[in-house]
Amino acid sequence: MLPADCSRRLVAELRDALDSCAQRQRQLERSLRVSRRLLRAWEPAETPVPEPTPGPETDEKVPSSAFTACSPSPQDLKELELLTQVLEKAVRVRKGISKAGGDKDPSVKSESLAASPATRASTRLRASGWTGSHASETKHPRGIRQTRVPAKDLSERRLVSVEDPTCMGRGARAAKVEPRHRSQQIVPLAAPQAREVFTLKDKGILLQLPMAFRKAASQNSRLWAQLSSTHTSDSGDAATTAKNHFLQKMQTTSGWPSSRLSPAEVEAEVGRLRKACSLLRLRMGKELTADPKDWMQEYRCLLTLEGLQALVGQCLHRLQELRTAVVEQQLGPWPEGRLPRASSPCGGGADTIRSPPLLLYSSTQELQTLAALRLRVAMLNQQIHLEKVLMAELLPLVREQEPLGPPWLALCRAVHSLLCEGGERFLTILREDEPAD
Amino acid sequence: MGRRRRRRVDPADAARALPEAIAVLTRTLPTGPSPETFRRAKFDRPEAAPALWRLLFCVLSPMPADGASPSLALEAQARSVKAALRFQGYPRRALAQLPDDGSQGGRELLLALAWLLARGPTLEQLLAQSRVRLGDEMPVCECESLASPGPAVPSVEADGCVDTRHLQWLMGKLRFRWRKLMASQQEQCALLGKIHSYTRGCHSDRSLGHLSVTETELLRDPEGGQQLLQRLERENVRLEAALEWRRRELVFWQWMDTVLGACPPEASQPTFLPEIPAQGAAELELVVRELQALQEELQAAVEPRRAAWEARVGGHGPEWSASRRALQEAVRQDLVALQWAWERGGGLTQPHEPHRLVRTEAGAPEGRGLQATEVIEVLRSREACLEVVLGQLQGQCRQELARLVGTLPGLIWIPPPGR
Repeated sequence: MLPADCSRRLVAELRDALDSCAQRQRQLERSLRVSRRLLRAWEPAETPVPEPTPGPETDEKVPSSAFTACSPSPQDLKELELLTQVLEKAVRVRKGISKAGGDKDPSVKSESLAASPATRASTRLRASGWTGSHASETKHPRGIRQTRVPAKDLSERRLVSVEDPTCMGRGARAAKVEPRHRSQQIVPLAAPQAREVFTLKDKGILLQLPMAFRKAASQNSRLWAQLSSTHTSDSGDAATTAKNHFLQKMQTTSGWPSSRLSPAEVEAEVGRLRKACSLLRLRMGKELTADPKDWMQEYRCLLTLEGLQALVGQCLHRLQELRTAVVEQQLGPWPEGRLPRASSPCGGGADTIRSPPLLLYSSTQELQTLAALRLRVAMLNQQIHLEKVLMAELLPLVREQEPLGPPWLALCRAVHSLLCEGGERFLTILREDEPAD
Repeated sequence: MGRRRRRRVDPADAARALPEAIAVLTRTLPTGPSPETFRRAKFDRPEAAPALWRLLFCVLSPMPADGASPSLALEAQARSVKAALRFQGYPRRALAQLPDDGSQGGRELLLALAWLLARGPTLEQLLAQSRVRLGDEMPVCECESLASPGPAVPSVEADGCVDTRHLQWLMGKLRFRWRKLMASQQEQCALLGKIHSYTRGCHSDRSLGHLSVTETELLRDPEGGQQLLQRLERENVRLEAALEWRRRELVFWQWMDTVLGACPPEASQPTFLPEIPAQGAAELELVVRELQALQEELQAAVEPRRAAWEARVGGHGPEWSASRRALQEAVRQDLVALQWAWERGGGLTQPHEPHRLVRTEAGAPEGRGLQATEVIEVLRSREACLEVVLGQLQGQCRQELARLVGTLPGLIWIPPPGR
């Protein structure tokens, strides 16, 4: 068992990480649902079809519910049990062939290893089929055709008649006149034959946004542009002076020392210093692995390292100041519950005040690479953060405990796995029996 | 104050100007409070209080992106407002002393709202946060990453002690979620790519070309489309009001000056209840420890190098002193740039706003936006950096553990396969 403080902190951190993953997953699944529906057959404007009974895809909610529980399920414990068995077996096998030992065994055990690549791959395949467990939240999808009608040649013949530009114009005007009526909102794509199947793939190119929407959207981007342009030019006028005067007056009448840092400022500062630390460490690594070709480069490397040393000193000094400020002022920097970031650089910063700029991609594969890399970077950041937290809590425990007892060995193995292998692999510890002499 | 006297120039105008300014402000604010609330608040009338607590709650804790906003009771909202204001350094204690039930505090709440509005582009941020998103957007910075660099909130229920197996179990669960996330993400990109290419040329805006998911969805589901249109129109009203507010806000600030003047000054030494900043302090200590470790490593690296250098480079000619100065200057500039990277939040020279994804045909003219290839390149180098950092940390742990167990006889450590 870990000490209470350590337990609380580590569990909180891990839960936090799990929650942010789950939140992201929920968002993704929401948009996946919408996108999948769009790529099935649907009818742009006609009568709504009653919702089809959900397929096997939509009501499969087993995995997520199984994983929201707070403590290990019996199955998880059993898996860990099996894992231990495998390792014990590995111990029995001679140490020299330990590498192949676990994998050769084709029984249940190899499957129970969470880290086994084969299991992982199959999990991923299954995972991609899930549509999540939030189907009930969305409102009734309209006009879904569950069946994928092979309508290709049929529709190609029809393209000619539908592509008539006057037809689209009429639709747009109709939308402007009476936006309440759903049937008129949309370009009447389908000719009189009502049973025609519409798929985005075949006829998506004929879609057109309703006029009312187009007008509102263009007005919207015009207004955003206006807001962002006056935003930058407006500073320095009478209103700004009046605002500053107000803030100052409030400060002086409140008896609050103006030099005092707010918890939000402390948090932001600590965050900056954390970033500084990782940048400095990276730079140090680069300098230490560099291979100077001549004495000029060698000297430059030395100067850089000394400069880094000075910068680290400055950062530490600043942290000491913050620490004193926090302690002396008895200012609880982080009140209960997560509060909105005071000035998060994104999502609320001043530079977000305009319509979004464009990010251009040329192929699906490129988009996938981009998204995968973004996620990978996010995961690495999370992993590094967790690594640091785990290091700070677990290494002292290994140092302090009475060595050599079985609990200590178990702790060592667990800590080694968590800290050195990302929790994916375990080392084996062999105890040499005392020679009976 | 000369400013106050200047209003007498045209009393009738001035009398109208304030209500108009307040009306414009209320149209911009999220909950759309009644302008009358502001007048009542000036006289500290209790009936203004609930609306203002709710307004401040909305301003301070904007809706999460997924729209899942818990509708809290007034009391919980009031407590949350107090905590958030104190967190941001709001100076007036009178607010903290108001009862939690949200029944009082008209004037204090008005002052707090004005404080928030005066400090920064609060209105603009609120608008940006609730913006109707029409495109398929992707942020190019890594700020909204999974790693919430802030402190984790200690779970409310007392967990008691846990075993390392519990941690391993949680860690395994996390890895599982990562994989699932990656798979869903890839599928989503494939679908987006299809939708974009199937609707190419459909957008009235030539620079976009194709429709986004939201835009296509509005054609599929006209009712939803109607709601989207209404949201867009409501946003336009708020945006217009915000522009109008810019022109009219001066009179509001003059008025707030008199509201503040009507309050008695507060006693000088605030007596805050001491709190145990456990989580935050732990965060701070973590950074301290990291920096100390870094300092030790640097010292170990620098000292022998400096000594070796001094020993070897005895006498260089006068041309050396010139190049030495040049080197020193180059290194100084180099390090200033490094420092700038964390102080200005730069590092990656990337904008922090989400970008609208646009699929281009091969060979389309460039320069209308950011190219995915550029972002990919930056992300790749970022990924490599982070992998190095993680590897270093893991190596550090391996060394430390090896040091701890290395002294023990009778044990053989077999590292796991695959390394």
